Amino acid sequence: MPVDLRCAAFIALATLVSAHGMSEKAIAQEATGAPLQLAIDSSPAGLDPHIVTAFNSVAIVSGTIYEGLTAIDKDLQVVPGLAESWSISPDGLIYTFKLRPGVTFHDGTPLAADDVVSSLRRVQSKEVASPLASRLVALSEALAVDPLDVELKLKEPSAPLLAALAGIAIVPRSMEANKEALQKTPIGTGPFKFEAWQPNGFILLSRNLHYREAGKPKLAGLKFNIVPEAATRAVGLESGQYELLPQVDAATALELKEKPGIKLSQTLELSDTVIGLNVARPPFADARVREAVNYALDRQAIIDAALFGAGVPAGPLSPVLKSWARPVADFPCYRHDPQKARALLEEAGIAKGTKLVLRVLASRQDIKDIAQVVQAELGEVGIGVELANEETGQFVQDWRNGNFDLFASANAGGVDPDEFLYRTFHTGGSTNVFRYSDATVDHDLEEARRLSDRTERKAIYDRLQMQLACSGPIVAIAYGTLFSAARAELKGYEIMANRSLVSLRDASLSP
Amino acid sequence: MLRRLVFPRLVDLVLVVLGVSVVAFLMIRLIPGDAVAIMLGANSEVTPQALSELRERIGLDQPFLVQYLRWAFAALHGDFGTSLWTGRPVAEEILANIWPTLELTFLALAIGAGCAVPFGCLMASRRGRGTDIALRIGTVLGLTIPSFWLGIVLILAASRLLPGFASLGYVPFAENPLGNLARMAMPAFALALPILAGLSRLIRSAMLDALGQDYIRTARAKGAPERVILYKHALRNALIPFVTYLGISAGYLLGGAIVVEEVFAIPGLGRLILGAISERNYPLVQASILMVTVGFVVLNFAIDVIYVVIDPRLRR
Repeated sequence: MPVDLRCAAFIALATLVSAHGMSEKAIAQEATGAPLQLAIDSSPAGLDPHIVTAFNSVAIVSGTIYEGLTAIDKDLQVVPGLAESWSISPDGLIYTFKLRPGVTFHDGTPLAADDVVSSLRRVQSKEVASPLASRLVALSEALAVDPLDVELKLKEPSAPLLAALAGIAIVPRSMEANKEALQKTPIGTGPFKFEAWQPNGFILLSRNLHYREAGKPKLAGLKFNIVPEAATRAVGLESGQYELLPQVDAATALELKEKPGIKLSQTLELSDTVIGLNVARPPFADARVREAVNYALDRQAIIDAALFGAGVPAGPLSPVLKSWARPVADFPCYRHDPQKARALLEEAGIAKGTKLVLRVLASRQDIKDIAQVVQAELGEVGIGVELANEETGQFVQDWRNGNFDLFASANAGGVDPDEFLYRTFHTGGSTNVFRYSDATVDHDLEEARRLSDRTERKAIYDRLQMQLACSGPIVAIAYGTLFSAARAELKGYEIMANRSLVSLRDASLSP
Repeated sequence: MLRRLVFPRLVDLVLVVLGVSVVAFLMIRLIPGDAVAIMLGANSEVTPQALSELRERIGLDQPFLVQYLRWAFAALHGDFGTSLWTGRPVAEEILANIWPTLELTFLALAIGAGCAVPFGCLMASRRGRGTDIALRIGTVLGLTIPSFWLGIVLILAASRLLPGFASLGYVPFAENPLGNLARMAMPAFALALPILAGLSRLIRSAMLDALGQDYIRTARAKGAPERVILYKHALRNALIPFVTYLGISAGYLLGGAIVVEEVFAIPGLGRLILGAISERNYPLVQASILMVTVGFVVLNFAIDVIYVVIDPRLRR
C-alpha cells in the first residue's frame, strides 16, 4: 500500500539523517576545537555591559567578554583586574589606578587610561541612562594622568567603590557617545570575544588570542545555547550535546547527581528569597507586627518543603560574605515560636483574621512554593494571607510603586555589604520600596560607607544586621543553593556565589 | 473572475491589518509593567530619575496616539523600527526567526498531509474492520497527546537509542542540510501528529460520504479498478474539507508553535513573539503580530483559490 511506503520512506530518511548527524559533529570537534556548549534558559535583552542587569546577560558578558579595573575572585574578595595595583590617599578621596601594560581590546586597539575615563563617564551619562550609575555616586571626576595611570576623585570617602568597580566594564573610548553598538556587538578586553548572535538560538564567543594572560583561555570558545525548557537542558547534558549548564534547579540537580559522566557543583547563593513588608501601611507600620512575622515563620521547614532542603536560613547578609555576615543564631526572632508571635500581634492590637494580600513573583517556582508555606504559617498565628501570583511586568510595577501589603521575591546581594543594605534600607534608597525610614539605620549606613577600616565597618554592620533582621521591612527567608552541572570532561570550572562565569577563563575540556 | 476573487480580499487585508495593528499596539501597552520597568527588573539599583530618562530615550514619554501615528507612518514606509534593547532592526530579528518556523510548518504539513491521505483512504475502504478500528484509536491518541510531552519523550528516547544524535537547537539548511533535517525531524513529527490524526479522520468521513454516491456505483459498475475509484473519483470530492483543515493548521503553525519550539530549543517565531511580549519589546511585538496576520489572510486567500481549482463548479 502507498500508505506504508510513504511513511516508511520518511522513517528511512530520518534514520539516515541521524546517522549522518553523529559523524558530522565528531568531525567538527576534531578539526577546529569546538567551543564549549552551554545551555541557558533565556535570551539576553542585549549585551551592553552598562545597560543590561538581568542575571543571564550579566553572566554572558561579565568576566568573559568584559573586565573591570578590579575583579572579584571566587572567595568574593576584590583582586586586581585591568588595574594591576592602586593606591588610596589618606583622606580616602583620591584613588590612583595603575593599568596593566600591553592589554588590547578585541578590535585591536590598545587599552589606555582614556578608555577607563570614558567608560566611567559613559556609565554616568544621561543619554546612556545606565542603571550602574548609582554605584558611582561618590565619583566626582576621573582623570587620565598618563597613558597607564588613572586618578579618581571622590566627593566623599566610599568604602564599597573598589568592589563596585569590578562590575563596571571598561569599553573602548569610541563607545562613550554610542549607546547602541555594544548592545549588538560587544567589544571588551576579556578572555573571550563576541562572534555571532542568533536571536533565541545562541550566542557564540571565541577565544581571544591576544588575551593579557598568555596561554589563556584554553577553551576554543563559548557557545551559549538558549534552551528555555529545563528538561531539554538536562537531557541535552546527559546526551553530551551540552557540556555545561551554569544554572540547574534543585530538583533537576538531584536527578542529574546519579548520572554517569556528569559533575555537579554547588555553592550558597549571594542573593536570597525574601518576604517584603510595606511599612507605610498598617499593620506592618508597627515594628512588633514585623517581629511577629519572624517568630511565626519556621525557616528550616520552608527550606525543606519548598527548596528540597537546598539552602540555609537567611539573615540580612549572605553567609558567603564570610567576613561580614552574622550567624542567624544571633537573631532572637529566628526561633520558631508561634506563641510569641500571637502575643506580639495581640500587643499590637491586630485583630484575628486580618486579611492581607501577598504578591508573588510567579516567574520563579521556588518563590511560588515558598509563598505557599509562608501563607500557611502566617495563617497559624492569625494573619490571613491571600496569594496573588503576578506576571513579572505586573509584579515589578506593584513593587516599584509600593503597591503591596506583603510580597515574595528575591533580592540580589552584593559583594560589599553597602551595595544591598544602603539602597534597600536607607531613607529614599533606590530599592527601598517599603518606605522604611529609621534615623539610626540611616546614620549607621552613612557611617559605614565613609569608614575605610574594616573592623570599624564590621562593628556597624553587626549592629545593623541585628536591628534589620527582626524589625526591618524585609523578612529574609533563605539563601538557596546554586547548582551547576557539567560533563566530567570540563576541568577547571568553578561555580561562584555571584553566578559569574569568570572561571571559564581557566577551564579546559579534556577527555 | 480573478478580479472578483482578489478585490474583496484586498479590502479585507487592509481592514484586518489596520484593526490588528491598533489592537496589538494598545494591548501590549495596556498590560501592566512597561518595557523599562521589566528591563530593569525587581532588583535594579535604579533611581526614579534614571527610569524616566530611559523612558524618554525609547520614546515612551509620548502620548499613545503620537506613538501610534509615528509608528504607523514609519511602518507604511517599510520601517518597522528597531528592537528596543538590541537596537537591531525589527525586520532583521523577524527574518532570523522566520526560517525555522516556515520550515517546521512545511515539514509538519507535508508529513501530516502526506500520511493522512493514505491513512484516511485506508480507513474508509476498510470501514468497520480491524485496520479501521486500530487506526481510529491511533488518531484519537494522536489528537490527544500533548505535543510538549511527546517532544520530551522523543528527545529522551533519541538520547537513549541514538547516543550522540544531535537533536536540539537549529542549524540553517543552507549551512548544513543534513544536520538541519536531523534537528527538524522530531519537532516536525511532534507537530505533524495531531494534524495527521485530525486529517485522517476528516478524510475518512469525507471518503465514506463520497463512496456512498451514485457516481461511485456507476464507476464500479463499469468495472473501474478499486484504486482508481478511491483515489480519482472519491478522493477528489473529499478534498474541500481537507484543504480547509490544512489551511487552518498552516495558519496556526505560522504563528509559531511555541511549546514545541521551547522543548526543542528552536529559535522560531513563537518564541520570538513570546519573548517580545514578556519584555514588552513594543516594536517587535507589533511587527511580528502584523506579519502573522498578513500571513493568515494571504493563506485564506490561497485556500479560496485552491477551492476554485479543485471544484470547477465554483468557477461559475
